[in-house]
Amino acid sequence: MFPKPIKNYSPKAQLAYKLALPIALLLWLLPLLAIFMTSIRPVSDIAQGNVFGIPSSFQMLQNYGEVFAKTDAMRYLINTLLIALPTMILSVGLACLTGYALAIYKFRWALPLFFLFVAGNFVPFQILMLPVVDISVKLEIINTVPGLVMFHAAFQTGFCTLFMRNFMKALPFELIESARLEGVGEFQIFWHLVLPLVKPAIAALCVLIFTFIWNDFFWATVLIQEDSSLPITVGVRTLNGEFVQQWHLISAASLLAAMPPVLMFFLMQKHFIAGLTLGATKG
Amino acid sequence: MTSNVAGSNNRFDTSVNQMAIAGVVLALCVYVLMFVINTTMVQEMFGYSRQISARVPTFFMRMGVLLVAIAAGFFMITGHSYYKRNKLAVAPWLFLAIGLAFFMVYVIIPIFQSISFSFTKWNGLYDINGDWTGEWVGLHNYRILWDDPNFWTSLKNNLIWLVLFMLAVPIGLFIALFLNQTVMGIRIYKSLFFFPFVISQVVVGLIFAWAYNPEFGLLSEIWGWFFCDFKENIMGNLSRVCSVDPPSILGDANTATYGIIAAGLWPQIAYCMILYLTGLNNVSPDQIEAAQLDGAKGWKMLRHVVLPQLKPATFIAIVVTVIGALRSFDMIATMTQGGPYGSTNVLAYYMYDQAVGEGVGRYGYGSAIATVLFFIMLVYISYFLYRMYQDEKEGG
Repeated sequence: MFPKPIKNYSPKAQLAYKLALPIALLLWLLPLLAIFMTSIRPVSDIAQGNVFGIPSSFQMLQNYGEVFAKTDAMRYLINTLLIALPTMILSVGLACLTGYALAIYKFRWALPLFFLFVAGNFVPFQILMLPVVDISVKLEIINTVPGLVMFHAAFQTGFCTLFMRNFMKALPFELIESARLEGVGEFQIFWHLVLPLVKPAIAALCVLIFTFIWNDFFWATVLIQEDSSLPITVGVRTLNGEFVQQWHLISAASLLAAMPPVLMFFLMQKHFIAGLTLGATKG
Repeated sequence: MTSNVAGSNNRFDTSVNQMAIAGVVLALCVYVLMFVINTTMVQEMFGYSRQISARVPTFFMRMGVLLVAIAAGFFMITGHSYYKRNKLAVAPWLFLAIGLAFFMVYVIIPIFQSISFSFTKWNGLYDINGDWTGEWVGLHNYRILWDDPNFWTSLKNNLIWLVLFMLAVPIGLFIALFLNQTVMGIRIYKSLFFFPFVISQVVVGLIFAWAYNPEFGLLSEIWGWFFCDFKENIMGNLSRVCSVDPPSILGDANTATYGIIAAGLWPQIAYCMILYLTGLNNVSPDQIEAAQLDGAKGWKMLRHVVLPQLKPATFIAIVVTVIGALRSFDMIATMTQGGPYGSTNVLAYYMYDQAVGEGVGRYGYGSAIATVLFFIMLVYISYFLYRMYQDEKEGG
């Protein structure tokens, strides 16, 4: 193990390390803590210069309640869910199919097509922006939640395919061979044999895609102008314009927007990290 | 013998029936998609008053019909005797069909469309007959680009982003080394350190915009401990008097970009850290012990034994950091919107601004900027694919 395990050091060094940990963490998360403190203090505190001290009164419920009462935060949150969940299902589902095709079958186009998915996944969004707007206008889905879902699902299929293909490539191929010899149909092999084996990959992808889409800002601003279809990331920025100088409300709204991915991360930590660090260990 | 022939005959019959029915369904679906369903019809059918609300039900009806058509298509193909004879050659294309078509329409083809837009002058609109209203202008957009100071500022800022963003890799490694211990509660520390990555960049941007605020931000507060005093003024209120005023990081054209990069580094460091933590987990203990016997420790051990084993993690960390740097958009949009005076523009934001933001409808010019950005990114993408290709060849 590297660096040297701390328990091999002197007790003093061990104590120093254990003290250093929370201090480092505090510094690291200082901006977040500060904004949390702001979100639970009354507006008068900020005006009097009490930005970081103990709040004169705790107004967590009032502040967060005010965000919901004064704005469309609730609808923004629901919109985000309506965007993130279908995208997650579509892109992960499609990637199971494409990943299976690219990992299991040996045909000449397997590698070039795989690279096409990978390359497409890394292009700058701006090169896609205007044609995607154009397509959405022609399909009459611009400014709607399904319009955004369609694009996200197509784009995320690239990343999911990269992930799925590599995961399926690592499966024991003999299993599929022997099923074929038994005369099992191609789709049956996929459905009954391979899908149950890639459940961990599906879980990891679902968590990741949900977070990516929840946090998306660019595509939402480009494809949606209609206030009733906006997701929370764009909504929060709009609120920022409305609540000029009302930092207690801005910070409450920001934290509200950040909450669901954070919860998702803590609940599904193992899958989340497995997804993000794909490829960081092999080779 | 006889029963065998009859059996195969039967199978032949069912497959022909299956194909005929599927073919009729497919043709019907195509007809319905092309000529029946449109927003006007949905509007009349359900009595929606506004164009915009009729779009969603129209979309769902179209998708429904499309799904039936796809299913019919699959039945037609799998019913054909050619499929039965060449299963292994045809099946992968059936698995690929939907995903690939989707990806082509929304990702691959738009790349080429954007490049072709960059040779035109267009405001994104069509005339009443649905005809394109733009005109072909050749390299005109690129010539304007060459003389556009904002473009060069953006390009320079992109370069600054690329260079400074790379700091995320060594800092991430440093934090990973710091946290790679087994003490009580270390798992919680690791996940809390990872926290900033999970938060949306818009929120990170807002947090930092507030932290940088010269009047009551985090930074001005810390500044106050050194340079400011609270004094009671004539009205009896406390007011802050500073010997040197706190800097307005985002308000100053010289510092704004660095302020945004610092904010962007926060989640990126967290990402690199988690990559390295996973990498460190898989460093072979045997090699470390062997090196220890040879007297290697500290920096030497890290450089010659550990880092070579962390190579895959480093590679991915660099790739995601480069892409993150070139994709920087959300933070600029929330923190400065390219200002002050265009000093924080990067290509990604400047393109957006020209095409649908302040510039309003300079689609051709925006596409030219996007094309430049795309070719910069293409260098990295090609390198990444080359590396992947090498791995594939080795792995077989």
